[in-house]
Parts: sequence; C-alpha cells; structure tokens
Amino acid sequence: MSAGHDDHGSGGLDLTLHIWRQESSEAQGRFETYPLHDVSPDMSFLEMLDVLNEQLVREGREPVEFDHDCREGICGSCGVMINGQAHGPDRETATCQLHMRRFKSGETIFIEPFRARAFPVLRDLVVDRSAFDRIMSKGGFVSVNTGAARDANSILIPKENADLAMDAAACIGCGACVAACPNAAAMLFVGAKISHLGLLPQGRPERSRRVLAMVAQMDAEGFGNCGNIYECEAACPKAISVENIARLNRDYLIASATERPPTASGGGA
Amino acid sequence: MMSRCQVFLRSSIGKKLLMALTGLFLIGFLVAHLAGNLTLFVDADGGAMAVYAQKLADLGPLLWIAEVGLFVLFVVHLGLGMRAAMENREARPARYKDTAPKGGRSPASVTMIATGVVILLFLIVHLIDFRLVDGLFAHPEPATLAKVVVERLSSPLGAAIYFFGMVALGVHLWHAFQSALQTLGLRHPAYDKSIKCVGAVLAVGVAGLFAAFPVLCLIYKGDWPWS
Repeated sequence: MSAGHDDHGSGGLDLTLHIWRQESSEAQGRFETYPLHDVSPDMSFLEMLDVLNEQLVREGREPVEFDHDCREGICGSCGVMINGQAHGPDRETATCQLHMRRFKSGETIFIEPFRARAFPVLRDLVVDRSAFDRIMSKGGFVSVNTGAARDANSILIPKENADLAMDAAACIGCGACVAACPNAAAMLFVGAKISHLGLLPQGRPERSRRVLAMVAQMDAEGFGNCGNIYECEAACPKAISVENIARLNRDYLIASATERPPTASGGGA
Repeated sequence: MMSRCQVFLRSSIGKKLLMALTGLFLIGFLVAHLAGNLTLFVDADGGAMAVYAQKLADLGPLLWIAEVGLFVLFVVHLGLGMRAAMENREARPARYKDTAPKGGRSPASVTMIATGVVILLFLIVHLIDFRLVDGLFAHPEPATLAKVVVERLSSPLGAAIYFFGMVALGVHLWHAFQSALQTLGLRHPAYDKSIKCVGAVLAVGVAGLFAAFPVLCLIYKGDWPWS
C-alpha cells in the first residue's frame, strides 16, 4: 500500500520500461528501453508516463505518444497493453486508474499499443480506433425526436431490461476487448452497443436494422471471428458480460430471418 | 445482389452459427458411434458387434446417405474452422511480444484449431484402419469386424494413436459444447452452469469411454474377463 511512501524519497520504484516506439503507421516499430527511477507508488500509470516524457523532453528526445483524456476511467481513450494485458494487471480498471503501487521496484514493464488490423498504430502507443466509430455510425443510435424531455414514467421499462441495458451502456469503447481477444474480434463492443439500445423501448424500432448494419460494418473493418474464449470480458475495464455476445448472435440470427426492407406503398389502407 | 441467406452465411456470425450447428450434429454422431462401439465389450467372440454391424449394413442406401451427410458435416465444420483461423491471423498481423491471460481463456478454448487438426489426422488413420479396409465402396465385413478392431487396438502403437486421438477429442469437446450454445445465442445466468456441466460430462464421458477401447484392448486383447 501507499501509506508511508515518500514521493520524492527512497520509497520510489526503480523501473525498466520497454516501450513500443513507432514514428508513423508506415514506419517499422521497435521496443526502446527507458530506465525510470524513484517513481512514486501513488502515481497512476499515465502519470508515470508523464514523468518519463518530461525526462525525455529535458534530454531533447521525442516523448512517448499515448492517448488519454478524462483520466478517470470513463472516456475510453487510454488503453495500452501492459506486460501483455490490456489495461494492465487489474480487473475492471482502465490504464488511467491503474496505480504504480501495483508494481514492484526493480520490475521490467513492457508497454505496447493495442494490436489489430482494424486498429492501425498511428504513433508509438496511439492506435486509430475509428473502426468503432464507423460501426456506431451504421446503427449505434436511436432515431427519435429529441425535443422536449418526456415524463420519466411515460414509457414503462421492465427493471431487469433497464439494468441489463445500463450494464451494456457502461462500455466506453476503449477497444480492450479487441486487444485482448486472441482473434482480435470486436463482438463484445458490438454486443454491448446492440444490447444497450435494443433492450430499451426507444431502441426497439431499429433493433433488426441496427444489428444487421453494425455486424456488416464490423466484418468490413477486418476484425476477427469470435471463438468464445471470453478474454474480452476479463479484460474489459467495465466488466461487460459475454452474455451481450450471445444476445448479438441471437439478434443477428433473428434479424437475418425476419427483417424486411421498407416499402413505398406500405402502411395504411 | 446477394441473397439474404448468402449475406448471413458470409457474415462472421453466420459462419460461426453454421460451425456450431455442424459441431452439435457431429457430437450427436459421436454419441451414436460410441453406443454402437460398446457392443464390442458384450462378448469375447465379437458376435454382438457383428449383429450391430450387420444391422447397419442392412440399411443399404440409407447408410450411404448417412455417410455422405456425415462427410459433408465434417467438411463444412473443418472448412469453416480453417477459414476462421486464417481470418483471425489476418485480423492481427503484428503479434504482441507477450500476452498474459486475464482469466477468460481455458487451455481448451485457445487450442481448438490444434486439437481440431489432431482429430483430423486421427480420423484419416481411423478411416484407413476400419472404413477403407475393403475400399471406399464396400463396407467392412461385419462378421470379422470385432477381430479387426481388437487386433488394431491391442498393438502398442495402435493403442497409443487411439488413446491420444481421444484425449484431443476430449479437450476439443470441453470447449465445444458451451461455445456452440453461446454462438446459437443460448446463454442465461439461470442455465449457464448447467450448460458448462453438460459440456464437461459430454467431453469426459464421450472421450473417456472411447479412450477405454484402446486401454482395454491393450490389456485384455479381446478376451474380456466379464464375458
């Protein structure tokens, strides 16, 4: 635990970092080694990288590029592979919420970008996750009039559906599921999105169309096939359940069998 | 314009669903095959197995249809598995330096391709041993089938091939059953544990009983102490 450690004293950690450096998407990447001394155990993992970067800048070297934004585990920007684990060793924890007290002095840490064909490395630890945005643009929304807010109880929602939808809505789209999957599949992400929207009355009208379009885009992006290995669930900082993948499979099968295109003459007499 | 069915079967989920269905049918075949095989232990002279084999042979054209159907099931299952494996490799062109599991995977789930390939190799040997002895278009002679089986399985090499083939089958089945149901969308906290349990019983039961054949043949050479 952190108690008793002096941030600037002898309680700091001495670490050897092996960090993936890559100038651009096209460039050949490689690991570079950086010793880092006297790291406070109270720092977050990203703060540790900040300290490294300050040191690199002082030395006139290029800082390590990494994605981050909220630093409180809700934006989904900051995923990296830490010693072969998406977001590092802790469960239900994004990289920004991982603390250095989890590591021992003298430890060697390998830091790599999330790797998948659909997530090309842009620079160092930064990957392009716009494949997720393109999947969302195919149906990860509800087309309703967003005018005046309705009365909270005007649409009845079963408690268990509301709970399941909220659990799925916890997905922050960080991509750890893809990164941790041995097959680089995006099924947990897509499963979470179709569950979050499809379980609620507002998302129901588009449930079939949504799942068909989002799966088509997921396949087009070049993600792998789900092997039901469940490493995604274990790596997810929000503990999204693989039950959502079963719902995705189910919805896709039903939608494939029952979805019918809208007709111009349809409706009314 | 692709038909609705084509779109479905070309999607990652459609392919997986077909793989799950063919896999479940193959599990059904395994159970029936195992039940038939158990006739070997009924008597020492192979009479029960001869009766069983004769009954199968008497099915005539139906047996051929069943065999072709089984072959198609197997080829589809294998083909989809190989294709998925290749696509999955392409989905991650740059490998990680090292990966450490966070608790999702099992030894069975990450070796499905490896155990599948071992089962394929085993099947080739198995078909050469027992199905193709009199050529592709003739079924083996029912009267002497038990003798042929015991002869093959009581040699140390034969016993080893059949034993380890069944170990691979057991590991494959350990993941297969619950994975197939997950792909079919059958998952619910109320019956998650039951599905895992049935999968485990199937894996250990089917592979274990099949593996008993080489072990018992090696020990008793067909002269069963209980018959």
